[in-house]
Amino acid sequence: MAPLLNEDNHNRVREVFKEMQSPVDVVLFSSKANCEYCESTQQLLEEVTGLSEKIQLEVHDLDADRDLAASYGIDKAPGFAIVAKPADTPVDFGIRFYGIPSGHEFTTLVNDLVMVSAQSSGLNPETVSSLQEIKTPVHLQVFITPT
Amino acid sequence: MAMENPLITADMVEVYEFPELADRFGVSGVPQTTINEGLGTVVGAYPEDYLLDEIRRAIQEAETSQGA
Repeated sequence: MAPLLNEDNHNRVREVFKEMQSPVDVVLFSSKANCEYCESTQQLLEEVTGLSEKIQLEVHDLDADRDLAASYGIDKAPGFAIVAKPADTPVDFGIRFYGIPSGHEFTTLVNDLVMVSAQSSGLNPETVSSLQEIKTPVHLQVFITPT
Repeated sequence: MAMENPLITADMVEVYEFPELADRFGVSGVPQTTINEGLGTVVGAYPEDYLLDEIRRAIQEAETSQGA
């Protein structure tokens, strides 16, 4: 398949990746059945994660690796988690992507990789302290389109 | 926000690939943020304190209905 990212994309992403700190794992669950965008999502992630030696991509099969997928709460493909790996123990902030992150979402993906790596949300301190006071589970689903 | 509290999880869901999920929450414009399976919704881009208020409102509503 032809590359999805061009030289200009590479340069822009590399520029943002200069802010990477701890290593990051991208854990992708793909499926062979009924998954129009699994292959291109995997290809896009291979291209992006290849632009930083701090990012490692793991590819699993949603059906074959059902238990692992469940441990990440991933039930759809393509679905992936972005996990920080400051030491041997991964730090999972609960960030998931479902579907190919192209268009605007490509920027979100690149920024999220850096945020997770830096383990810093960039939110203002009042918001952070209010968020930390929350005592019940909160599941946010942000619905987006590639354009 | 998910980074600041382990109880908070955030999914980015591509509407065209997962239309059933988008339909379930009546997604008509993007971005649309759904809180706890529809207890709260924010359409469009928003300042961070706006989403925070909506999260608190959704939590409070759930607690009130549990108490009733």
